[in-house]
Amino acid sequence: MALMFQSDVVQYVCTCGQLKPISLMYFCRHCLKLRCGYCVCHEVDSHYCSNCLEILPSAEARLKKHRCQTCFDCPNCLNTLAVRATTVSVRDPDDPNKVNSLKKYYHSCFFCRWTTRDVGLPDQAVQTVSANGWSQKGESNIQRINVLLEYVRLLGMQERHEREQREKKFTPRSRRTFTHHPGLTAAHVRKRAGLPPELPAPSTIRDNLAEFQPAVAKEEVASLPESIFTEELDIDQVTTLTQRLAQPETQPESIVDLIPSCKHLCTKRSQRCRGCEHNVSKPDLNPSSIKFKIQHAASFHVPEVRLVSVQPLIGSKECEIVIVFSNPSQQPTTISFITLEEAEAEAQEHTEVTPDTSVPQGEAPPSLSSLTRSPPVMEEPRPVSIAVTGDVNLPTADVEIVLAPKDDAAEYDDSSDTQQFHDDPQIVVHRRANKASLRLTVIPHADKAGQNCTIGFGFRYTYINRISTPASASFEPQKVQLSSRTFLNCGKIKESQ
Amino acid sequence: MIKTFYEGGMGLTSEKQSVVFDFGVRFTKAGFAGEAAPRCIVRTEVRCSRSGQMRKVFDALNSDEQYDLLVDFIHNLYFRHLLVSPKDRRVVVVESVLCPTAIREMLAKVLFMHFEVSSLLFVPSHVVALSTLGVNTALVVDMGAVETVVIPVHEGVAVLHAWQAQPLAANAVESQIKEMLSEREKSKPSEGFANLTEANIEDIKVRACFVTTLQRTLKAEEGKPCPSPPSVKYLVGPDSHILNISGDIRENSFNVLFQQDADQISVSTMILDAIIKCPIDMRKPLAENILLIGGTSMAIGMGARIKEELEFLSASPQYSERLKIRSFQFHSPPAKGNYTAWLGGAIYGATDFVTIKSLSKEAYLRERKVPDWVSLIHNTYNAGTKRSV
Ligand SMILES: [Zn+2]
Ligand SMILES: [Zn+2]
Ligand SMILES: [Zn+2]
Ligand SMILES: [Zn+2]
Ligand SMILES: [Zn+2]
Repeated sequence: MALMFQSDVVQYVCTCGQLKPISLMYFCRHCLKLRCGYCVCHEVDSHYCSNCLEILPSAEARLKKHRCQTCFDCPNCLNTLAVRATTVSVRDPDDPNKVNSLKKYYHSCFFCRWTTRDVGLPDQAVQTVSANGWSQKGESNIQRINVLLEYVRLLGMQERHEREQREKKFTPRSRRTFTHHPGLTAAHVRKRAGLPPELPAPSTIRDNLAEFQPAVAKEEVASLPESIFTEELDIDQVTTLTQRLAQPETQPESIVDLIPSCKHLCTKRSQRCRGCEHNVSKPDLNPSSIKFKIQHAASFHVPEVRLVSVQPLIGSKECEIVIVFSNPSQQPTTISFITLEEAEAEAQEHTEVTPDTSVPQGEAPPSLSSLTRSPPVMEEPRPVSIAVTGDVNLPTADVEIVLAPKDDAAEYDDSSDTQQFHDDPQIVVHRRANKASLRLTVIPHADKAGQNCTIGFGFRYTYINRISTPASASFEPQKVQLSSRTFLNCGKIKESQ
Repeated sequence: MIKTFYEGGMGLTSEKQSVVFDFGVRFTKAGFAGEAAPRCIVRTEVRCSRSGQMRKVFDALNSDEQYDLLVDFIHNLYFRHLLVSPKDRRVVVVESVLCPTAIREMLAKVLFMHFEVSSLLFVPSHVVALSTLGVNTALVVDMGAVETVVIPVHEGVAVLHAWQAQPLAANAVESQIKEMLSEREKSKPSEGFANLTEANIEDIKVRACFVTTLQRTLKAEEGKPCPSPPSVKYLVGPDSHILNISGDIRENSFNVLFQQDADQISVSTMILDAIIKCPIDMRKPLAENILLIGGTSMAIGMGARIKEELEFLSASPQYSERLKIRSFQFHSPPAKGNYTAWLGGAIYGATDFVTIKSLSKEAYLRERKVPDWVSLIHNTYNAGTKRSV
């Protein structure tokens, strides 16, 4: 679509105040508002490996530190490694005269030709090497860190214990009443109540703390090798920062210490409206599918504006531009123009109506975990950060332009039927299917010569709300009037002669 | 029923691992509490959605832009590196003592209002770095990108009146390399130099340069220099222009951190001055518990040079009268220098301290600002049995 290449020509104002091309926006069918990547809540739905396309449930992905256990990245150039098979001849241990050929596998990079053989990693007998096959050096750190973790954890428990002792004086029994629930263990109840698990006895904490051995500083430090002053340095044997940081734990300094790292998983993400918690986008679970379970892109609901032609823009001279409105919905829509100020006022009115009236109390919770999800918070909408450098003469608000519904079959129908709409030929210059081309006059500001001419206008459009609300049992689609603000970049303003 | 309860959203907040961030001027470390290393160490940069240019996150021109850069950057951290949803998950931020309040407020706003995290705790990098050792007293020397900061921590409390901060860190070394290269360029121009980028200079520093010994530096100052190490051919740019990096540059660029110029300040004098500013009974334990952290402390030979300098200077007329200490001891934490502070935060963040001391989302939404107690700098970290102040 040409839209991709002119993404900054027509921009819509999102509910949050961001300017975005409509192709990058969502439309919440519940709040009836535009949403963009900035003002939706992003959530990780599932994890998968982009190389082998295996899906991992979140718990398992978390356990594996969000890495695929069978795919590896090249430690040299960070691209994906491929498995190579080779045949090696091995002398039969029983019969010295017989030679067996064995299939062996190693990993190699198609991009930089690095192989696991370069760093002396042995070939594998199986095609799928488990990550443990190449265990990391210097694993002693983990043991020490676990001891430290335990130590600081005990300190924390000690502190909490003291705090709880202090609090007991002020809140008698309020927490303990929970524990008398039948069939629930104390630990379970604490979890339910959002409290950390029960503390061990203070004496146990003290005993365990006493066992801890703090680190001891030493006089010796790693000294500079004498050879550094005499030996030639082969800089290609020294790793770059990028290579080091790709393996944060070990950060090898020499190329020969690089080992393949397990590939990072990718995520499928869903987007949720922050006004009402409904999904505006939810991808298919299958990693190889590019489809969506839910996809409420704004371009399926909101009339789209495109800039078709512009007369030369000269400061303080009237020039004509032609824009096209197209109706993406299956219903006809009526468009009328309003000023930016009017549209802004309408947008503000709308925000004050929230929490959204279209969703009454009885509706099913938006997600399974609604019990554990906290209610959404929203940032204040921002003022629009764009300077208008041209005035536009809009048709008055009572000029209504009806757009036919989108009909895929009509795309191939060449006959243009302008008769059925009683258009003012001064405004509507052309019609076809669900589109109408309109002529507007723009007066670029004289002092902005050389800059882009940005104009802005608001428009109202009718929208058929098809969301059923349990409150009104007899459900019928409602016709509502919505408004939107757009900014058009018409191109450079020329100097007036 | 319980099963879905856990799968969708991982259930209760206490079930989820807290996220630990250490936002550095040049590199940001991000990962999970209770883990041994950060999931990623990435440049604190993000592509600006409007201009398409890479922007350093903390180089914003105004606070609106700062907010947007932080939002984009942290979004990337969550969805490209940590791969978890930010909403309803705890966050621990390891911050420098010198972090401006405005930045802290903005981080809180971004995390609570945009990412809807459930709680936030700021921990001071110098103090939590000690939890990688399990000690309460140490002299923490943090050598980062912009500056070196020395803070004595005694019995878990930062001795703030003794802190030292100077722009003697990675940036200083890199401008020194650039200066030495351009000096030579005057006599012998090369194509390589003309095509040199900032990233190249950092790369040269990391791969070719090292911290030489004090002995060799002193000899050179006396006019009897030892033979220079071999030079290195470095390829610049896609056309592979050759830049010759002399042994002098390789050996001496880091010396800029140790030269006592007009102001008589070097990394070593900062350490000694910090010790001197502490009460007498603290000095020996501090000198015997030095902890070097930060990316610049990882340069080859850095530890050895600092030790040599401290021993030499403490016996020199400049200090021998004021400081009676001659022996200095160094810690080696179970982490690389550039993520030691992060690891401290990750250890600390896996404990009940997070439940006790964090600022909750509800509390933030009520006040819309970060109360002083949320930063442990103002609270003091009471690790250990002794309590001071
Ligand atoms: Zn909504
Ligand atoms: Zn938005
Ligand atoms: Zn895989
Ligand atoms: Zn490669
Ligand atoms: Zn809703």
